[in-house]
Amino acid sequence: MSLVDRDGTSADALLTDLYLDAILAGAAFGPGGPFDRDAAPGLDPVARAAADRLRRDLVRVHPSFRFEERLATRLAEAATAMRLPTAVGAEGRVVPFRAAAVLDPLAGDPTAGDASGGPNDPRELARPLLIGGALTSAAISIAGAALVAWRRGRPGRTPMARAARAARAARPARLARLD
Amino acid sequence: MEEARRDPLRFDALYRRYLAQVYSYAYHELGDHHEAEDATERTFLAALAGLPGFEERARPADGEGASTFRVWLFQIARNSVSNQRRSRRRHPAAPIEAAALVADPMDVEGNATLRDEGAAAWRAVGRLPADRRQALILRFVDEMSNAEIAGVLGKSEGAVRVLVHRALRAVARDLGGDA
Repeated sequence: MSLVDRDGTSADALLTDLYLDAILAGAAFGPGGPFDRDAAPGLDPVARAAADRLRRDLVRVHPSFRFEERLATRLAEAATAMRLPTAVGAEGRVVPFRAAAVLDPLAGDPTAGDASGGPNDPRELARPLLIGGALTSAAISIAGAALVAWRRGRPGRTPMARAARAARAARPARLARLD
Repeated sequence: MEEARRDPLRFDALYRRYLAQVYSYAYHELGDHHEAEDATERTFLAALAGLPGFEERARPADGEGASTFRVWLFQIARNSVSNQRRSRRRHPAAPIEAAALVADPMDVEGNATLRDEGAAAWRAVGRLPADRRQALILRFVDEMSNAEIAGVLGKSEGAVRVLVHRALRAVARDLGGDA
């Protein structure tokens, strides 16, 4: 295609576009709505007639009410499924672990932080936590130590226990003799 | 749009707003109500699923409330329709129901003439190459601007203007002198 042909096509395309803008603006008033028929006077009458006919025949159609509501229901179900992960905690945020500097009393004045006492207040972050599990663990340790001490001071009930205890008591003396 | 992105349940408003446009596009492309319903359903389900990834490309200079959502939605619709056309591997029949929608129900003889003329126009549009046909449908049925059509088809505005012009000339030739 030569440059002249291309320019000619572009000019015709602009005229067509101008006319289509006019008739589609008229379509806003409904089928057969008024529009400026004199728009783009240089447009080929055949193209103009074709545009008029397509404007009349290529109409927007609406689906059935049943289809519209069925699809609306399906979309609502899909939307609910998309929201579900959010409901079970996906919208939670990741909180960075407390920095060592905040917990280190030598790193700076702990009272120099956020005076508002908010979540970033070092005093808040450094507050020791009492967790039930830790207390339970400590209690078990104390009870264990008491049990061992009590059993050491108590004579064994069985001959085997007494023999074991006598062997253990004699062991440092034997080692001392070997030295 | 933003509300729907934050809360998928708000998608219903967008669905109601664009349903007839998407359905009309699919119907004019496929020529069958049931296939148009299938393509419409796939389009909206895909749009809902892809909504978090939608990127608004409208600029403040485009005006208040300007959005590229419709262009994005019709890109999805175009893919759905293309897939459907490929799957059936046949040219759409030229339905005549659309012409009847704008006819006077009391004018039987006039309706018959309109249906014949409407069917001829549909056939002429249906015989166009895909990009010309789509451009014509988007321009006449969905009343899109050249910029919007360019976004849907992935072409420049100038290319779309020429595409529509050539499509119109081809339809005029096909319809002969009675256009």
